[in-house]
Amino acid sequence: MTTELPTDITSAAIHMDKPSSSWLPPGLALQKVDERIMTLNVGPQHPGSGHMRLIVQIDGDYIVACDPDPGYVHRGEEKMAEYRNYITNVPHLERPVIHDSCNVLYPYVLGVEELLGIEVPERAQYVRVIAAELNRCIYIMYWLAIYGIFLGHSTMFMWPAGDRELLIDLMEKMTGARVTHAHFIPGGVRNDLPPNFEGVCLRQVNYFEKRIKEYAAVFYDNPILISRTQDTGVLSRQDAIRLGTTGSVLRASGVDFDLRKKEPYDVYDELDIHTNVMTAGDAYARSKIPWLDMMESCKIIRQALQKMPKSGSVRVKLKPNPKGKGLDTVYKRVESGRGSLGYYIVSNGKPEPYRLKMSVPSFRNLIALPYLLKGEKLGNMPSVYWSLNYWPVEADR
Amino acid sequence: MGTATGIIRALNSGIKHLAVKRFTLRYPEEKLKFVGDGYQFDPSTGVGIAGLKGRHLLFHDHCTGCQLCSIACEGVAEAIAMVKVPEEHKHNKKAIMPQIDYGKCVFCGLCVDACPFYALYMTNDYELSSFSKEGLIYTPAQLQVKPYVAQDSEIIITDRGASHG
Repeated sequence: MTTELPTDITSAAIHMDKPSSSWLPPGLALQKVDERIMTLNVGPQHPGSGHMRLIVQIDGDYIVACDPDPGYVHRGEEKMAEYRNYITNVPHLERPVIHDSCNVLYPYVLGVEELLGIEVPERAQYVRVIAAELNRCIYIMYWLAIYGIFLGHSTMFMWPAGDRELLIDLMEKMTGARVTHAHFIPGGVRNDLPPNFEGVCLRQVNYFEKRIKEYAAVFYDNPILISRTQDTGVLSRQDAIRLGTTGSVLRASGVDFDLRKKEPYDVYDELDIHTNVMTAGDAYARSKIPWLDMMESCKIIRQALQKMPKSGSVRVKLKPNPKGKGLDTVYKRVESGRGSLGYYIVSNGKPEPYRLKMSVPSFRNLIALPYLLKGEKLGNMPSVYWSLNYWPVEADR
Repeated sequence: MGTATGIIRALNSGIKHLAVKRFTLRYPEEKLKFVGDGYQFDPSTGVGIAGLKGRHLLFHDHCTGCQLCSIACEGVAEAIAMVKVPEEHKHNKKAIMPQIDYGKCVFCGLCVDACPFYALYMTNDYELSSFSKEGLIYTPAQLQVKPYVAQDSEIIITDRGASHG
């Protein structure tokens, strides 16, 4: 199925009126073109949308137009960051995605280290890679559990939610918190690994990998799932690039792009990473890529545990109130569980950042939603929507 | 693979789990075991010691009332207030010590990192619920008490699957 794309991305709401002098709230701008067309609000109180409203126009069972309306969980993270110093920014900047809290902090920490001119010890870099990969798996398992329940597959809700506990237990041993670890800090990580961690980590990650391989029979090879998700919400390779999608959405459309390989940060260039790419670009491919990524993460964790220096410092001692060196800007990005996540930080030589901007993958992937839903059945909306690897709080930040 | 085969394989995969051990932690009866006695920080090396970030533990004989923990918390949660204590210490002229409001605390542990006198640590105690907001405010005298925790359950992986035991 091919969907016609308007050349201008700002006219994403397909039936949007010409911009008039009076501003209209989102969705109200959707014009009623026919008596048959009905406008439906999905959300913002959760059933099938997360904390976000999807304003959908339907003709019978088919979606004519869709206007996503994010912003219900806006927290003002960027403004808050301007009033806190580089260290006390750490606990609140991980709040947008608490399941992926190490990855969401990663670019901030890398950026601040460049601003302050800090060299991070090698062991700390390996600890960070292990923590980031464990966090990626924790995030994907949570995402997968919700994807299962969106499709009415309650087994796929229970299994990932339970198996996720294996990795949460590891993160708890490593950082002291189940979620919101506040573990990464400019200059390294907060604490060294606990004694005997390597053995426990290896055992639980191996068992975790064995468990997720069992999902193939119950979910990914299940003919009912395949018939529901295959050929729905097809995003072609050109559209995926042109709309600016990232992460698993981009890789499911056949673009080999992974920042861990293309722009290696910390010690990712010393590790052997394989990027999973699928060419179909439908909801099935977008739901399978994160699952394949988890198996890749397990391999990366094993490599990192093997190559990690067995002893050494994990944190550089900083001055009490670290400052940047005059007017300076930095942009750093990493591959998070959802795609490329970047921080643009402006420093003016004070202990607080002058300006901090988060460039989040969730918002980039959301842009593709109106195009994907046009012409789909309403029943396929949750599966297409959640396959975009979208996290409402991160998009609103 | 045909549709029928696929559905049978999926059902079979679920049926196999009848023989797999239960993974669920039976929480109030069983509690997870953590490494160490809670998150600690060594100011001489500048590196923390791994452990659970739970309720704090305050050593009255080390605390000098320097307020660094309170200043660290200002940008995070504003949970720490410095209050007067009746006891007198030579090293604590102002006789002030931190009082922590667990209704605000986010358990990030930056206050522990800020303390240069080995006076503030965290413990394995995470069961802090209370019927009133006032009950969540822990005075220096309450923070001094070492918690009693009975946590011994661990994840055990066998051929029949993982379980808490």
